[in-house]
Formats: sequence, C-alpha cells, structure tokens
Amino acid sequence: MKDMDTHMTDETLLNIDALSLEFRTNRGQVKALRDISFPVKKGRILGIVGESGSGKSTVLWSILGLLAGNAKVTAGRVDYGDRDLLTLDAEALRALRGEEVSVVFQDPMTSQIPVLPYARQMSDILYRRAMSEADKRAAAVDMLRRVGIPDPESRVDAYPHQFSGGMRQRAGIAMSMLTGPNLLLADEPTTALDVTMEAQMIGLMRGLRDDFDTTIVVVSHNLGLIAEMCDDVVVMYAGEVVETGEVHDIFHNARHPYTRALLECDPARIADVSRKLPVIPGDIPDLTKPLAGCIFASRCQKAMPACATKAPPLVERGTGVARCHLLEGPLADASWPPPASVSTVARDDGAAAPLPANAGEPLLEVRDLNVQFRTMGALKARIRGVARPFVDAVLDVSLDIRPGETLALVGESGSGKTTLGRTILNLQAAAGGSVRFDGTEIGNMAERRFKPLRRDMAMMFQDPTGSLSPRKSVRALITEPLLIHGAEGRDLDAEAERLADMVRLPRGFLSRYPHELSGGQARRVGVARALALNPRLIVADEPTAGLDVSVQGEILNLMADLQAEHGLSYLIITHNLPVVRHIADRIAIMYLGRIVEDGPAAEVFANPAHPYTRALVEGVPQPDPDRRRPPSAAIEGEVPSLLRRPKGCDFATRCPLARDACRPAKPEHRHITPDRRHACLFPLTDTQDNKNKTETP
Amino acid sequence: MIIYLMKRLGLAAIVVMAVLLLLFSMLHMIPGNPAILALGTRATPEAIAEYTARMHLDEPVLTQFVYFLGSALQGDLGQDVFSNRAVVDIIGERIGFSLALICTGMGWAVLLGVPLGCLAAVRPGSWVDRVTGVFSVGMIAVPSFLVSIWALLLFSLELRWLPAIGAGEPGDFADQLSHLVLPAFAIGLGWVGYLARMVRASMLEVMGEPYIRSARAFGLTPRRVVLGYALRVAILPTITLIGMGFGGLISSAVFAEIIFARPGVGKMIFDAVSDRNFPIVQGGVLVATGFYILVVLMSDLLIAWLDPRVRSSL
Repeated sequence: MKDMDTHMTDETLLNIDALSLEFRTNRGQVKALRDISFPVKKGRILGIVGESGSGKSTVLWSILGLLAGNAKVTAGRVDYGDRDLLTLDAEALRALRGEEVSVVFQDPMTSQIPVLPYARQMSDILYRRAMSEADKRAAAVDMLRRVGIPDPESRVDAYPHQFSGGMRQRAGIAMSMLTGPNLLLADEPTTALDVTMEAQMIGLMRGLRDDFDTTIVVVSHNLGLIAEMCDDVVVMYAGEVVETGEVHDIFHNARHPYTRALLECDPARIADVSRKLPVIPGDIPDLTKPLAGCIFASRCQKAMPACATKAPPLVERGTGVARCHLLEGPLADASWPPPASVSTVARDDGAAAPLPANAGEPLLEVRDLNVQFRTMGALKARIRGVARPFVDAVLDVSLDIRPGETLALVGESGSGKTTLGRTILNLQAAAGGSVRFDGTEIGNMAERRFKPLRRDMAMMFQDPTGSLSPRKSVRALITEPLLIHGAEGRDLDAEAERLADMVRLPRGFLSRYPHELSGGQARRVGVARALALNPRLIVADEPTAGLDVSVQGEILNLMADLQAEHGLSYLIITHNLPVVRHIADRIAIMYLGRIVEDGPAAEVFANPAHPYTRALVEGVPQPDPDRRRPPSAAIEGEVPSLLRRPKGCDFATRCPLARDACRPAKPEHRHITPDRRHACLFPLTDTQDNKNKTETP
Repeated sequence: MIIYLMKRLGLAAIVVMAVLLLLFSMLHMIPGNPAILALGTRATPEAIAEYTARMHLDEPVLTQFVYFLGSALQGDLGQDVFSNRAVVDIIGERIGFSLALICTGMGWAVLLGVPLGCLAAVRPGSWVDRVTGVFSVGMIAVPSFLVSIWALLLFSLELRWLPAIGAGEPGDFADQLSHLVLPAFAIGLGWVGYLARMVRASMLEVMGEPYIRSARAFGLTPRRVVLGYALRVAILPTITLIGMGFGGLISSAVFAEIIFARPGVGKMIFDAVSDRNFPIVQGGVLVATGFYILVVLMSDLLIAWLDPRVRSSL
C-alpha cells in the first residue's frame, strides 16, 4: 500500500490510507476494518460495494467521525485536503459536517426527525450561515424544487410523515445538498425505496453531481445501482478492500475471485433460469479471531493451500488494485481471470424445480377478492359526509395456484400484495369474493374451523429474525407448529432434527437462539417452521429480503428443492423482479390492490403487456455499466395513496402511454392466451412485433 | 381535531357521571339509614327528619339520584352537615392550597428530574448518571408520607428552618411560600426520581435513533442535537406520565396536608371522612376527579401540539 500514498494528486478529494478499526463487543475485539486504502477522485461517483459484514458503511461513518461509541481506529489516515480527518478535534470535524461533507441516509423514514417540519430541519442545517430566516427558507424551497418536490413553497412546511417514501428521500437529498458540499456520502440511498423510485434517485443524484460538481461516495450492496451510478468502484469483503477500479473494469474485467463470484451470483446477470442459482459456499470469517492469509480463502473456488497462510500481494493495474495470489508472484495463474462465459462459482448442475404439468384442479382459487380498510370512524364519516369511509386495499383479485406451482405476486409498496397474502391465510377479513383451498371455501372462515387447514397453508415471514421469539431455541422454534397443532406421540427431538436436515441447517444449531443466527440461517429456520406440518401451500413474504446475493441463491435453491421433493405450491410475495424471474412459474403484477397483468413468468418478462409491468421490468438497474439507462427512462411519479385511487385505470396517472380513453373507467381484464391476462386498453403486446409468438408455443 | 376534542370532552362527562353515581351509591350501599349515617347516631329525630326531607331520602333511589345529579350539575354539592355551609364554598376556600401544593410539587420534580435524566442519558456511565441512578430508586421507594414526617422532624423541629404546620398567613406571600416548601418537597421527591429515570430511558432510546445521527452528520451543535432534537421527541412519553402522575400526587397531597395540617382539599376530605360528613366527601372526591380528568386531557392536547404525527391522526 506504500505507493498508494504518492497517488494523492490534485484530483484526489479524499484519500483513505491504511485505515484499520476495531469494535469492542462482548465477543471480543472485532477487527472490522483492516488496512483499507483507496482514493476518492474529485467530481466522480465512487461506489463501495460489499455484502453485510464487509464494513462498507463503517468506512463511510469513519470519514465523518460518526462511528459508534465502541469503535476505535487503530491505524491509518483519512486525508481531506491537507487535513487528516481522524485527528481533527470535535469542533473542527463539526465545522466540516453538513458544510463540506454531507450525507444521504439509508432510510428516510427513520433518518429525519418526525417532530420538526422540513423548513425548520433545513434552516437548522444552515445555522452557520449569516442569512436571514427568510433567506434560509427560500434556499430550502429552491433545493426542494431542484430535487423534484412539487409545490415546494407549501411543502417546505410539511413534516416527514406527510411525505411518501420517495418524496422523503428526495427531501433527504435536498437537505444534504443544501450547503453545496464538496463531498456527499450516500449510505444505501435507495435500499428502502421501490424500484421505480430507485431509478429516479439514481438519475437525481447523477444530475446533482453534474450541476454542483459534488463528489459522491455511495455505499450499496446493489450491484445494479453501483453499475448504473458509479464511475469508480471499491469492492469490500469482511473488512478488507479486495479490489478497486473503474466501473467498467470491475464489471467486465474483475480480477479478484470474490468480485467475480459476487457478480456471477447476482440473479439479474444470470440469463439462464432453468438451472439452480450459483452460490458462494461458506460464511464470512469470524473477525474476532486472528486472521492470516487471504480473507476470502475459505470460500474461494480457486484457493490454494498457501492462500490460507500467506497474505496476497496487492496488484496494480491502470485504474485500481486487486489483492490476490492468482495475479502475481509464485502462485500466479496466467489463465485467471477466465472469460466471462466461464463460471467461477459453485453452481449445482441440477436443474431448477421442473415445471409442473399444469393439469389438475387449482389448489388455491381466489375469485373477485376484495379487502377494505377503514379510514375513519363511523361518527367522523357521518359528520364529514363521507359515504365510503374505507379504501380498497385489494380490489377484485382473482388468481389460481395449481399444485406444485410457484406464483409470484409482484408489486411496489402499497400494492396490496401483503394484504392479499394475509387474506388468503385468513389473517385478514375479506370484504367480498371467495377464496377456495382444495375445493373448500375458506374466505372469512371462523378461526376455530380454519385451524385444521392451517396445517396445509404455512407462512414464511418477511423479517426472519424479527418473526422468531428471541427467548426460544431453534429446536423449540421449529417444533412450535407441531405443538400448536397437537404433536401427540411424536418425538419432538427427532422431528427437530428431521426439519433441520431438510433445510440443511447443521443439527448443532438446534440449541442456538435467534440472535446467534446469521440472516441466511434465520431464514432457514423460517423455512423449517413453515415446513413443520407438511403444508401444501407456503405463502412466502419477501423470502430473500435483507439477504446477501451469495446467500439468497442458497435459500432459493432450497425452496426449489423442497418444492420438487414435496410437491409444494408457493405464493411468493415480493418486489424483487430478478429473483422472481428465477423462481416463479407464473407472476401476477399488482398495482393499487388490483392485478394489472398475470401469466407465465417467462412470457411476461420477455413481452410485458401492461405498461406498468414494463416499467417494473425496466426499472431494475442492470448490473452492467454498458447498459445504463438514460435518466429519462425512469417512470415518473409515485404510487398514489389508496385514498386517491384514480377513477379509470389506476396506472393512468403515471403511464407514459395513457390516453383519454384510460381515464373514465377501470379497464376489464382481457386474455391474451388462456393463461395470460392483462388490464390495459392499449396493451404493449398489440403494437410489438411477433417476438411473443415465436417464444411461446 | 374538533371532533377529537368533542369526543374527549364527552368521555370526560361520562367519567364524571360514573363518579357521581359511585359517590351517590356509596351513601346508599352502607347499611342503615343514610340520615343516621350522615348525622351520627346521636342525632335528634327532628334533625333526622329534616335531613331526610332535605336530601329527598324518602323518595325512590332513582329519583334521589336525579335530584343529586341535577343539583351537582348546577354547582350545588349540598351542605356541610354541621355548619350548613355550601360544600362548593368550602371547597372554593381550600382548593387553592391544594392546587398550589400539587403544582409546586410536580413543578420542582419536573425542573430537577428532567434535566437530571437528560444529563444522565447524554453521558451514560458518568457520575451524574450513577448518582441519579442510585438516588432515583431511593426517591421512588420511599413513600411521600415518610418523607413528610422526616422533613417535618428535621427541618421544622430540629433545625427550625421552616414552619411545621398550616399554610401561612393569608395575604403574606413569603409566609405562604415558606409553608409550601416542605410539603411540596415531600410529595415531589419521588417524582424527581421517577422522571429522571423515565427521561433517561427515553433519551437513551432517542439518542440511538437514526435522525439523531443525521443531525450530528449535518454538523449541528451538540446542544442543539440534545435539546432541540432528542429531548423534543423524548419528552413526549414523559408528558403522558406527568399527566397521569397528577392522580398519584392528589393522594400524596392528602397525606402531606394531614401531616403538615395544611387546610387543603385533602385535609378536608380526611376530616370529613372521620366526621362522616358525606356531602363534603362527595364534593371533595368530585373535585379531585375533575381535576385529574382535566390534567390528563391537557397533557394529551400538549402532546398533540408537540407531535405532528399525533396531530394529523386526530
């Protein structure tokens, strides 16, 4: 790293040099960052990419001195101009914060104080400026306008909870840009947002960089965002920088096996959906233990014996460095890195779950289902003269799931997909319509009568750790469903072991507690709980939310295997389209509680009929810097509130193709093929070429 | 907002009505002739007859309640059994002493407890935090009547710094204030500890919220971050606690008024109970209930004013 120091040139705004940092925890000293070095070049967007536990956010917070109280920098420098930020006193550092260096936070729901209006929050940021309150307010209004908040003169007085998620993040960006900082740090800026919002934020931040000449450092686990937004990339793994380089070099010519594996595991980059997803086997090493050799050696497909003991060399190239024995020295391998067509990660050769023969009666049949939520009390509605004091969370939804089939319910937040799932499981009362399971009407069935059916319909919850009682062991957790439904004569220990084996959770984990599990392990426990009663249908709410790419594949493969073995049907509720493409047989796209399109997954992806489907499919940023979309490609606006449901087509307010005919009434569902429906008056399939006909029989 | 207020006031009216019913039935559920209960066993037959007629005791129970309700709503809570003075007048004379005591007691507890909790939360593990932690438990654990007695013994009898009994000469503000110090100290002490702990816990939680990190990341001064941001949110649950705490303070005040012989409503109720002077008991309890309902309503409105999320959900 020594020669890195000389790279500090005029065009370097910030230089992180040999930064090491430890966290004091009750497990011991966690060596969270080790010898981190990279420059941040002026006027560019640098992405720090890595999975959870890689220390990417810790690097960001160490720049501003906002680390947790138990963190201690043990070595290194963070040079900003002629100053080392790590040695600045609190006052000097505070002078920098918000003025020269500013931050965009991950979750705008929690990172903006709920009790102060934006006008006050923004004028507080300008407290150092000798400006009148009126001028500060004007500056806030200007910046809100710049980031695309409509009607900023009045919205500046709004409180965060009065904004939608996307608007809140726009306001968050406005706050960080208010002082015109030199350096903007963005911590997972789109993770809490929907796909269509994400595309808008990427465009907005790139635009701001161009307008204000601000240097941006963005931390993300999302390869698509990194590829679309960044100029330079730093890849981190387990507290170390494994590779740096310009975005094209990283995505098209990755030299470190971890970078390569990370890219290959991203479902969005895998075209072939007939095979299982690749995974990076193993876990991130325990950073409290002494570390030797290459940090990735234990999970690397190319690892050699020396990798575990000998620290890899740091190998330069034009735009960055990589740390690997394969690249230089006695262990160098001239054939590395192989061409992009060669897979370097573990990928089970087995095919993904075979498509079921779509014969037979549907297992689940939903017809014209409606769910309503009250918006106000009966008295208030009477006083205000509101005739319908409720909103339609689910509106006339019909769908079928056949035995052994996977149906993905896709939509943004507020689409009603989770409500629909809950209603199918009889956890939410329906206002109308029917739900039939295996021929029996179960809609609004009394819980006493429904309970035996719960054996056949299990739920996998969105938050794997949060849905597990923290005081129960894994053994107790996975046998709990058995106890609830009567486990007379069953050997619970044997059952626990059987279930653990089924989800490939080592038996030793049975005596652990939820906080001792990693995200992937907690997810496995969730799968085991769902499987305990041998259900026929599993409703999985965001089954891979919060999982790293390398672990995500394992869970999806596991679900596919279990489906093949037990003939399970899945209803998968998700917003993650790349994942859906790999696991779903059919997909149903929901918007404002209504299904706007459904059909076989491959067909819908290849040739969307509804403009909203196309917006979703194209809304996912591609993990390939050569396939960046123009900023204008992002669909405008946000999902409207259910309180303001348009009279006609729900999507007409945002649809780039909307015509007058779309607005008077809701379009009826129409079949393209017996298996495929849409609710659009002017479907895209009518105007496109015959591609569809050649691809689908 | 107006609907909310109307709802709350309606609820308050229902509670007051229920309390009235309870108070009324108290008299009638005690076995024996209410007139004898009210006047005592040595009352003359003439007095009993006169009382029976005046209180409509010879009419059906329901009619009696309607009479009682009607006069109560007109501000007539009956007469003192012994002096025949209107209960409302007697309460009017005394309520000022009780209000002064309760508000001073809570006031000093808030002025000391909230900053202590704040300091303890900002520097966890510091000496302020540790001292507060230890003493607050002690303060909460000791009943206020014990504090009253100790304070009386130490500061009045032993050190002779402050007067022991009464409420001070009417019109002499300094004298009245000096009579207020000890009882207010006694009933507020537990609340110092209570509030310090509450604010500390609440502040620690808020200080860990992402929006506090945002405020620091934007370079706001530590003072602004703690007082302008964290405390503004952390104080909200404390306000609810204070509002409900007035209920507890009313009963603490009864003890303090007895021990310090302070002519407040609490002392009045106590004396009336021992004298079986039921109209006074009824009036006193009604006023205490009304005061409590009012304080809780005010604390809820204060929260709605301070928290826009609550405001917009009304």
